[in-house]
Amino acid sequence: MRRYLAKISLGVLCSLVSLSALCGPMGFKDSWMSMGDVSPNWQEVFVNYALTARDAAGASALVMRSDDGTKSRQLTEATYARLAKRWNMPEAQANIWFIGGIGNITGNDFSGSKTAVSPGVQVDYETTRVYVSASARLYRAQGLNHDFASARAGFSFFEVDYDQTQPWFILEVRRMRGLTDKIEVTPMLRLIHNRYFVELGVNNSSQARINFMYIFD
Amino acid sequence: MKKIIIALVMGIGAFPSIAANSIKVTVNGMVCAFCAQGIEKRISKMGATKDVFVDLKKKTVAVEAKDGQTLDSKAISAEIVDAGYDVVKIEPVSQSVAEIRAELKGRK
Repeated sequence: MRRYLAKISLGVLCSLVSLSALCGPMGFKDSWMSMGDVSPNWQEVFVNYALTARDAAGASALVMRSDDGTKSRQLTEATYARLAKRWNMPEAQANIWFIGGIGNITGNDFSGSKTAVSPGVQVDYETTRVYVSASARLYRAQGLNHDFASARAGFSFFEVDYDQTQPWFILEVRRMRGLTDKIEVTPMLRLIHNRYFVELGVNNSSQARINFMYIFD
Repeated sequence: MKKIIIALVMGIGAFPSIAANSIKVTVNGMVCAFCAQGIEKRISKMGATKDVFVDLKKKTVAVEAKDGQTLDSKAISAEIVDAGYDVVKIEPVSQSVAEIRAELKGRK
């Protein structure tokens, strides 16, 4: 009973501190995951391959822009995701993920490119009807600090079989240092099917945003 | 005696030819479509597997064996655990996966 309560507490804790990007940063073993996150100030694509059920390696490209459009960054990196811990509950799952990357960053306010590293952590809690997650990631290079944090919470409108399309409402709050002072808030409609999801939303700066993910093997 | 034998043969003939050789596995932590995909993929690749069905709401994975083959419940359990989930219960059943699917969907 105490262990069960501890697991429930972890789920609640995850929901309180929630910060994140996706359901999970990798697919099932031997699968490829491709993902995109596109809005005027943030364009990211990544692909990774699940070497095991807990490890995935891949590559990503990210373009970031300041709110006034005067400053921009382009980051390309090799990435690694690791499921550090999972709690399986009768009606839920909770995870702690390590996410990291190393690559090059360029910008329009400095010359050449710099080596960048981006270690991060994600925690999430999920049932078939509720999803909450939290992530924090450091985007660092010499003289640059674009640390990033996000929180997500959402619910599905109704239960479906896994091979049917399930609509979700997701609310994301995120912030990145160095390029914007704003906290971006984006309510989104997520449609999830067995191999993909698509999210459509408009943020608090009235900018459209589309996310997608597809798993293939 | 001859009549008894004929009656027995006819009686046996009245039953379904072979009862399906399936197992139902109850799994903790299986809450998303991607979880179901992974488990379904792994078990489908096993040699004796004829059909697989995953029901997220009932936390159930149903597996049916090919004709004349036997499912290795330990190996199936190991695949699910290796995929990152917890196996709570495994029970042999005589239904086919199609029947289990119809039964579970009918309960919703």
